[in-house]
Amino acid sequence: MAETATQVERLDPLDPIPVLAGRPGDREVNDQLFLPVWQQTRRGWLALFAITSSLAGLLVLAISYTVATGIGVWGNNIPVGWAFDIINFVWWIGIGHAGTLISAILLLFQQRWRTSINRFAEAMTLFAVMQALIFPALHTGRPWFDFWLFPYPSTLGLWPNFKSPLMWDVFAVNTYFLVSLMFWYVGLLPDLAALRDTSKKRGARIAYGIFALGWRGSARHWRHYRIAYLLLAGISTPLVLSVHSVVSFDFAVSLLPGWHTTIFPPYFVAGAIFSGFAMVLTLVIPARKVFGFEGVITAKHLENMAKVMLATGLMVSYGYAVEHFNAWYSGDHFESFLFFHTRQAGPYAPVYWLMIFCNVVVPNVFWWKKARQSIWALWIASILVNVGMWTERFVIIVISLHRDFLPSSWAMYYPTLVDWSIYVGTLGMFGTLFLLFLRFVPSVSASEVKELRRELDHEAHARAAH
Amino acid sequence: MSALFRRRANFVFRLVLLAVAVAGAGVLGGLMIYARVPAGNRQFEEVVQPVQFDHRHHVADDAIDCRYCHQGVERGASAGIPSTALCMNCHAQIWNKSPKLEPVRESYFTGKPIPWVRVHQVPDFVYFNHAIHVNKGVGCETCHGRVDKMGAVYQFAPLTMGWCIDCHRDPAPNLRPQEAITAMGWTPDRPGLGQELHEKYKVHSRTSCTTCHR
Amino acid sequence: MKLPIYGQSTDGREHWRSLSEREQRRAHPSEFPAGAAEAPEGFSRRGFLQVLGASVALAGLEACRPPRDTIHPYVRSPEREVVPGAALHYATAAEWGAEAVGLLVTTYEGRPTKVEGNPDHPASLGASGTFEQALLLDLYDPRRLQGFVRGGQPLAFRSTLRALSDLAASHRGDGGARLRFLVRESGSPLLADLRRRIQARYPRATFHVHESLSSDEVREGTRIAFGRPMEPRLRLEGARVILALDHDFLGLGAERLRLAREYAARRTPGPGAEMNRLYAAEAHLSTTGAVADHRIRMRSSEVLSFARAVAHRLAEKHGLAALAGCGQKPAVRIREAEAVADDLARVGAEALVTAGPRQPAAVHAVAAAVNAALGSAGRTVEYRPAPPGPTGPASLRALADAVGAGQVDTLVVTARNPVYAAPADVGLGELLARVPNSLYLALREDETSQRCSFVLAASHPFESWGDARAADGQVTICQPLLSPLFESISEVELLASFLDEGDRGGHRVLQDLWRSRSAAPDFDVRWERWLARGLVPDTAVAPEVPAVRAGEVAAAARSAPAPREGLEASFVADPKLLDGRFAENAWMQELPDPITKMTWDNAALLSPATAKRLGLESGQRVELRLRGRKVEAPLWIAPGHADDTVTLPLGYGRTVAGPTGTHVGFDAGRLRAAEAPWIDGGLALAPVGRRKHAFACTQEHFSMEGRDLALTFDRGDLAGEKHRLDELRGPLPSLLGQVDYQGQMKWGMAIDLTRCIGCSACTIACQAENNIPVVGKEQVARSREMHWIRVDRYFSGDPENPEVVAQPLACVQCERAPCEYVCPVNATVHSDEGLNEMIYNRCVGTRYCSNNCPYKVRRFNFFEYHRPKSATEKMLMNPDVTVRSRGVMEKCTYCVQRIERHRIAARIAGQEIRDGQIQTACQQACPSQAIRFGNLNDPGAQVTAWHGDERRYDLLHELGTRPRTAYLVRVRNPNPELAHG
Repeated sequence: MAETATQVERLDPLDPIPVLAGRPGDREVNDQLFLPVWQQTRRGWLALFAITSSLAGLLVLAISYTVATGIGVWGNNIPVGWAFDIINFVWWIGIGHAGTLISAILLLFQQRWRTSINRFAEAMTLFAVMQALIFPALHTGRPWFDFWLFPYPSTLGLWPNFKSPLMWDVFAVNTYFLVSLMFWYVGLLPDLAALRDTSKKRGARIAYGIFALGWRGSARHWRHYRIAYLLLAGISTPLVLSVHSVVSFDFAVSLLPGWHTTIFPPYFVAGAIFSGFAMVLTLVIPARKVFGFEGVITAKHLENMAKVMLATGLMVSYGYAVEHFNAWYSGDHFESFLFFHTRQAGPYAPVYWLMIFCNVVVPNVFWWKKARQSIWALWIASILVNVGMWTERFVIIVISLHRDFLPSSWAMYYPTLVDWSIYVGTLGMFGTLFLLFLRFVPSVSASEVKELRRELDHEAHARAAH
Repeated sequence: MSALFRRRANFVFRLVLLAVAVAGAGVLGGLMIYARVPAGNRQFEEVVQPVQFDHRHHVADDAIDCRYCHQGVERGASAGIPSTALCMNCHAQIWNKSPKLEPVRESYFTGKPIPWVRVHQVPDFVYFNHAIHVNKGVGCETCHGRVDKMGAVYQFAPLTMGWCIDCHRDPAPNLRPQEAITAMGWTPDRPGLGQELHEKYKVHSRTSCTTCHR
Repeated sequence: MKLPIYGQSTDGREHWRSLSEREQRRAHPSEFPAGAAEAPEGFSRRGFLQVLGASVALAGLEACRPPRDTIHPYVRSPEREVVPGAALHYATAAEWGAEAVGLLVTTYEGRPTKVEGNPDHPASLGASGTFEQALLLDLYDPRRLQGFVRGGQPLAFRSTLRALSDLAASHRGDGGARLRFLVRESGSPLLADLRRRIQARYPRATFHVHESLSSDEVREGTRIAFGRPMEPRLRLEGARVILALDHDFLGLGAERLRLAREYAARRTPGPGAEMNRLYAAEAHLSTTGAVADHRIRMRSSEVLSFARAVAHRLAEKHGLAALAGCGQKPAVRIREAEAVADDLARVGAEALVTAGPRQPAAVHAVAAAVNAALGSAGRTVEYRPAPPGPTGPASLRALADAVGAGQVDTLVVTARNPVYAAPADVGLGELLARVPNSLYLALREDETSQRCSFVLAASHPFESWGDARAADGQVTICQPLLSPLFESISEVELLASFLDEGDRGGHRVLQDLWRSRSAAPDFDVRWERWLARGLVPDTAVAPEVPAVRAGEVAAAARSAPAPREGLEASFVADPKLLDGRFAENAWMQELPDPITKMTWDNAALLSPATAKRLGLESGQRVELRLRGRKVEAPLWIAPGHADDTVTLPLGYGRTVAGPTGTHVGFDAGRLRAAEAPWIDGGLALAPVGRRKHAFACTQEHFSMEGRDLALTFDRGDLAGEKHRLDELRGPLPSLLGQVDYQGQMKWGMAIDLTRCIGCSACTIACQAENNIPVVGKEQVARSREMHWIRVDRYFSGDPENPEVVAQPLACVQCERAPCEYVCPVNATVHSDEGLNEMIYNRCVGTRYCSNNCPYKVRRFNFFEYHRPKSATEKMLMNPDVTVRSRGVMEKCTYCVQRIERHRIAARIAGQEIRDGQIQTACQQACPSQAIRFGNLNDPGAQVTAWHGDERRYDLLHELGTRPRTAYLVRVRNPNPELAHG
């Protein structure tokens, strides 16, 4: 195994670090990648699961309490009508972006290094969007009337207001969720089938069998599968850009200083991918260690993700720069007051500076190869970026709202215990889902890894022929 | 190894998928239909009252004008339910022994009001004003139906917002001359009468939200 | 339903009398006032069911398929005017000390829901202040006392009356030597007559009068000046230069509404119209000081020397020899004193010097002398004889001594909570225990009721018959608006029962008096007219111009005791709770203080400089020590406050005031001494603990941050600022098409900042009209107050003595409303008439509209602020306005319910809506007429005139929201000799 690896290196001098260590056979791949599914539940997993699921329980509690008594249990007020609710929404949606990007766009660009991390990313996307979906539904004062946001023929002779960005959100986010779901599931089919066939217990075989939708791996199946997968990739590619653009309209379309700016769509999308990749790294790094996937998720993957983060991080920094430039260039009193006084020197200044550190300073460590290749640097940086992107939304939403046009209406916002519980709760719910995913579904696409190996073989032979 | 599923499995699976889809659509569609049928709108529900008051008798046989009892209808927001004293104006003389009228007499002598059951119930945030409608040529019958044919009064119109708006957008067809305001079974004697009345009464039916919601 | 009994129908023209009310009185033995017979069980059983059944819109928004309601019609319908859902207005009056404010109360099916001023009444002129409005909340307070309790034993009404007459009889023997009354100060002829008759029957009984905001010093001062106590009544329409010596005549007193009107009437700048000029010499920033052109900061104890300095200048420079005696060369504020004096002399008889009731008699004497010398007495101030005898701490002291000496067996208390109001050193609370029979007539349980052996539930003024006098002597007959909600007795009935007439009912007693006085054959007809109009003709008292006794004035001025040394303690009536009488009134508790914007609290106010000197900061808790008494209080650093003096607002720290008022703020009264109830010296401050006190203020930033929000110009600069104003008004370029509002109503509003005095009457009026909930201190602290119209307060310039401007702000009804396009469910949309409508029942509560509102005038129901409501509280709700549920956004809609009501009436009558016919609640209440509302398409409309005014500008005009509410610049009229400050 070791020397085969060195072979590969020799064969491909331009690409010293392999995207796949060695040439494992189909059986090996199955055994290695399905191991987490077949092996006994581990103690560590149980411990983590206990923690996350109890946090998820906290979420359920907090939500029921909110719905029962009213969103007054949050810290929101007038003027700060939106706070944690929308911050968390935007944050989670943003995180969701990495999945679609990796699966769809990198697929279309035929990036090999995506194969072994795309399912991680997709699953993460799915679960992140689930968390995000909680908030638009919950943040309204009367959630039981949320269905009024959907256009349906009512006896009132009324329709929703299609001019409202919130309206657009409803569609954007739901589409995004459905497409991601399908994409993830379709990609899962061959492995589900493989699980069905390799599983020992009849119950498991039936369960996986049903989900495998009768996949038998015939040429016809593969052909349809390819087409479907490619189509979905095509559909979700624009979504990567559209969804967060639409989310950014919630702010850009308003007239509030700090919201009312045209840079938002691109800068939100960049930020989304930024945070998305950060989250993938945060999850992949421990996972590959625990399950020993270093062979399939190699340093190469991590390094590439680091590069993406560097790029998107710089875009985000550029976004900040443009915001401030516009504020100065507009000569508008309210704008400049926000961007050159309230943010840096206002009561929430620490949050602003934390954002600058995490989103502007931190990613620059990835200019250095050492940092890109050091697991710890990657992991810590990714976590910092997640924090940074959360504070960015805090800055945009709370800081802009708490001091707007009339000083007489200025007021502070303080999150309550319920606010925090809901936020932590979504983290718990997310973790719970992700752990279940790791436990019952192959977290790396075996079929694609096999495919990748074959491709590599062909190339090797081709080279050998010369 | 033996096939995990029999051939029928595929068929069954598709069937299940279909069923789920149909069920989902059915629930939504059902709700929308329910909101549009009498069952959902409480239309034509005959309401039992503490006193067996028969509009057929009073309106058709005795030809008592609606406004004799519902006195607020031309001046106030609510048409008003007659006071017990008003009932006794007649029933002190006629049917003054009838057991059916015991509750009325009891109310009159104890001073306890008769707890009539509301038939036409719009939500509290709807500010319907009888006076303006009656004064602009919308007859009782238009919304309340042939009360002269109702033993126990029931809700004749759906009273949905859509129904209100339809008329507010095009009131002409529902207008009638003042002298026929309380008439039952009135029909326009010539086409275009609605339009004429629309001009004559300067009907100005608004559709701004605060017309009804404040 | 028997009530309402008398009144006038909505248009205010038609006068009528109830037939059923006549029957009613025949039917019932004359034990109760007409209608009151229903009170005890009748209310719950009948009155309330009828009220509930007849009024459609009580409950909230819950609309999804409730069980069918039942309708409870009248058994015998009252007079035909009572149409369910139609409003009637009844004239009555509210008393403030001895003076009355005429009111017009709106009722639905006999349910009062809104208080307005009576346009015919001299003290109201149609306006109504916060206090008048708030009376309504007291009426429906479920915590009101019910029934009568003697020694812990509940008594029925009849047995109570019996007990009272027995008690009375027991004092016949010694002519009432051991019988005493402690009554509230009142101008009521009826109460005076009862008192006279009681005195006649019990020659040796004693009456003590108490009013915690007493005018004793005024009367003493006028006595010094004129030889007999007089009641000065200001007349501002003729005043060109006004000097207010610590007199908050725009903020306190029954006359404040009229004075605000007269003051504002002379504030319109422009050619021809000469603006008046107001100087205010005071310690803490009052409503009057805030609008003054020149506010001269000084300790309350320095006011006398300032007054004398002015007198000195007038005598020296302007040859008013009469003032030579009382004048005195000033040591400080020479420039101010001279400038003021010169200005006063310039206008001569059109000047006015007035002093506040807190100031010692000498100041009032000097003021009277100056007015006389200037010739303004009789023109800008007129005098009428004042009732004799003290009403302040002195009278309580006299009573306390008698009780202490054990000379009192029976004490009848109808004064307002004397135990709390009495200065600490009188110790009335302890003494009451020594009185065998202490009767107390009270609306609610309070500090006094707890110490009295016989407590009687008082009928609310709106539930009882009576009469009252305006400052000019005109009498108003106060008629009940509904039968007592709870078993209770009125003040008149209580006193009458000491004449064995308790069972005759207030109505008879009152009518008998006036029948005997008028002696006209057609008395009944006249009576109707008096009630309907709210005034009894030919009852005004002619003013006098008494001669000033210069010698006495000079003597008093010179011999006035010097203020005690050390830090000065200055006690003031709280602008919201006054002496604590409104402590249980949630509206007043949550109303932001006109200056500090503080709610649900009071604080010891001191100037920035003094705080610095003492090393103290805002929010710090300190222990205040005065004359060996101490109380703990939080500090508030107040811009514009005088140095070396601490202002202590009274009325807080109640210990028995229900859940609303108990332990809110601190009780400054515990420091007061009877001989120096208002201004005292030798106050000591000692910090307590580290913890900062948490205030709940509706406004935290008082600087405009250099933005053009509430503009203030000096009169001279107005012309020069035109170009600046032009940038704040007029059309802006836009890609959107214009909406054409021609050919229909185009509602608009205009607010004149020059006229606005920041009294907040609009806020409470709006709260009452629009069913706006009270949210409590914790929610206000979270910045969730619900007031639809707020009064923004901005300071500018030197923090030691800043310029102050108030800016009332409600939804400005943008033509291009930012809130509208962001609402996902069309819950806020534009009406064809340009109103920015808010549809509560459609709102899902995304709060997007509020985020996008640059004025932040939208309010959100973060909780179910309206639950739970008692049966009586529900009666308060305006049936024309939806009661908003939790999770719903709400805001001002120019009182659209009033618009629709008048529109329907007009269209049924086939008329057009006249200008001024529709008044918004804020506009109707505003005493200074600073708010105008109407149809902008009507070129003749008042509001159109203001929209075209040279001073007009739009708030945040650059945003292109095209607000329908325009503002008129505030114009100051400073004295050129005194450049700013």
